[in-house]
Amino acid sequence: MLELLQQGFGAVFTVHIMLLMVIGVAVGIVFGAVPGLSATMAVALCLPLTFTMGPQAGLSLLVALFIGATSGGLISAILLKIPGTPSSIATVFDGGPLMEQGHGVKALGIGIVFSFLGSIFSIVALMFIAPQLAKVALRFGPHEYFAIAVFSLTLIATLSAGSMVKGLFAGALGFAVSTVGIAPVEALRRFTFGVAELNGGFAMLTVMVGMFAVAEIIKLAESGRRAHQDKAKSVSLKQIKGFGFSLQEFREQLPNAGRSGLIGLGIGILPGIGAGTSNLVAYIISKKRAKNPETYGKGNIGGIVASETANNAGIGGAMLPLMTLGIPGDTVTAILLGGFLIHGIQPGPLLFISQGPLVYTIFAALIVATVLMLFMEFYGLRLFIKLLDVPKHILLPIILVLCVVGAFGLSSRLFDVWSILLFGLLGYLFVKAGMPAAPFIIGFILGPMAETNLRRGLMLSDGNFGAFLSNPIAAVFLALALVFILWQVVSSLRSKKSLVNEILRT
Amino acid sequence: MATSKKKELLIGVAMLGTGLGYLLMTTQLPRHAGIDAAFVPSLLSAMLCLLGVLQLLSVRGLATAVAEVEVEAPASSDLKTVVKTLALIVGYIALLNPVGFPIMTAIYLYLQFIVLTPLDHRVNHLVYALIALVTSAITYLLFREAFDLMLPSGLLPF
Repeated sequence: MLELLQQGFGAVFTVHIMLLMVIGVAVGIVFGAVPGLSATMAVALCLPLTFTMGPQAGLSLLVALFIGATSGGLISAILLKIPGTPSSIATVFDGGPLMEQGHGVKALGIGIVFSFLGSIFSIVALMFIAPQLAKVALRFGPHEYFAIAVFSLTLIATLSAGSMVKGLFAGALGFAVSTVGIAPVEALRRFTFGVAELNGGFAMLTVMVGMFAVAEIIKLAESGRRAHQDKAKSVSLKQIKGFGFSLQEFREQLPNAGRSGLIGLGIGILPGIGAGTSNLVAYIISKKRAKNPETYGKGNIGGIVASETANNAGIGGAMLPLMTLGIPGDTVTAILLGGFLIHGIQPGPLLFISQGPLVYTIFAALIVATVLMLFMEFYGLRLFIKLLDVPKHILLPIILVLCVVGAFGLSSRLFDVWSILLFGLLGYLFVKAGMPAAPFIIGFILGPMAETNLRRGLMLSDGNFGAFLSNPIAAVFLALALVFILWQVVSSLRSKKSLVNEILRT
Repeated sequence: MATSKKKELLIGVAMLGTGLGYLLMTTQLPRHAGIDAAFVPSLLSAMLCLLGVLQLLSVRGLATAVAEVEVEAPASSDLKTVVKTLALIVGYIALLNPVGFPIMTAIYLYLQFIVLTPLDHRVNHLVYALIALVTSAITYLLFREAFDLMLPSGLLPF
């Protein structure tokens, strides 16, 4: 493994790739920091740039964007008291008060350092767990894959924010949209209305760009003209040693960080929920375990440590099912999946056998990007703060143009550009209806996987459904999915104020 | 509270409508014996319809427990700007091929900046035009030269 990792670092340490990664981390931080822009958007918009690069350079860039954007959210969470991304909501609770008390630099320093530690922890965990999991997954057939896809779909649909009915509906609708085009196994054209462009179905990238970027612009049109954009306060870095906090404070926070890292990793691995949930869970648990819980929310650094360690630990967690099973853990890794596919790489257990060096290049890129993030985010802070002031009404139209370019670049046809507008409208309606977008995306991506493996599995067992239940692994996952739905239904009937529900629905 | 109930009802109707629409399209797929290509869509349409009905039923439940539900104050919605923005985007995409990316992008950006300018800001035509032109030129040249993406050039001779 060490040898492979060495090769991986060798591949990353070229001028070309390092330059790309520096740019990637910087752009990622900006997307994370500016409220309204997200990690998903950053990766989706930059994906077209990687078309002409090799897989190593392209994937390194995407990974750098992912790391930068996940941690960038803390900047606006602390300076503006607005979470830049849902993954730093809990950072606001204590980051905001610390900033008001004049400890802004300390809050930022702690957030950045523990983001770094959280990321590194999860990447190391990924490096050790992924190859083992891949070995197990090699033995999976269509029955197992079908069961895992169904399990993942139920998980995300029931756990995402808002009502369960709407979450399930969004997931099913995403699945339904994915059935447009030529059907798996028997190659029948479905729902194409004779339009040739629809034969291949909607491209994943157009769905994501539409739902997450174009919808954002329509949202701004609705509320932006009356909204008031706060100017970001700057902080002075003069006379600051290290990262602005003492070694003792660092040591005191280590148990908290370890616990939050595990929470972030665990929640990140579960398909569908990720950093947006784990930062709140980690915050609540950290507050309960703290010696002085009453100071939480009034500027306790423990709150920032919990939130930022947990959300960054989700990175390795979300990459795990993506790389070993080809199942995206959240919306960002869903686009990364698109990135893999565009470069002709099919994530899954075989990846570790057929593309071993590339896998370790990705691991190396994750580590290098994390280190870059640590220094760039802290010492480049003033620059990022300036960028927070770029007015939204200038920024978002430019992003729309980039969306158009990206969609057009997929296969040089305007059909894909119209698609992003269609899904942008759908995404806007979702927002209006209080329907979560993430289950739709995961349904769209996992749908074909579920259907193809269902059909294949049925062919293997001559149309007998029993084979799905007699296969132990498949049966366990299907049972888990069922138990999960029942548990959700029961708990929603019983009491609306159970703690778990409260955490998961925030 | 009455408005939120109406809204949830509307959402339920839309959900059920989507489900029924999908069901209708599914029934028109050619069938054959056993599990065929219409099997999964049939399951999905049944599920979509069922969830739509559940949503409608939950609205009825809402009426009895209104007091528990806290509804956010409706955000100031600005339908006019939404329509203008959508019209601009549609126009932009429709004319992308005939007129070309560089010209259309500059025009779209300039107009969209104006449409989205917050009410407490002044519209600065010169700056907007400059940003629009520069962004359009940089994007076009960057993608054409560095990333080999042939964006439609349209009326421009290069």
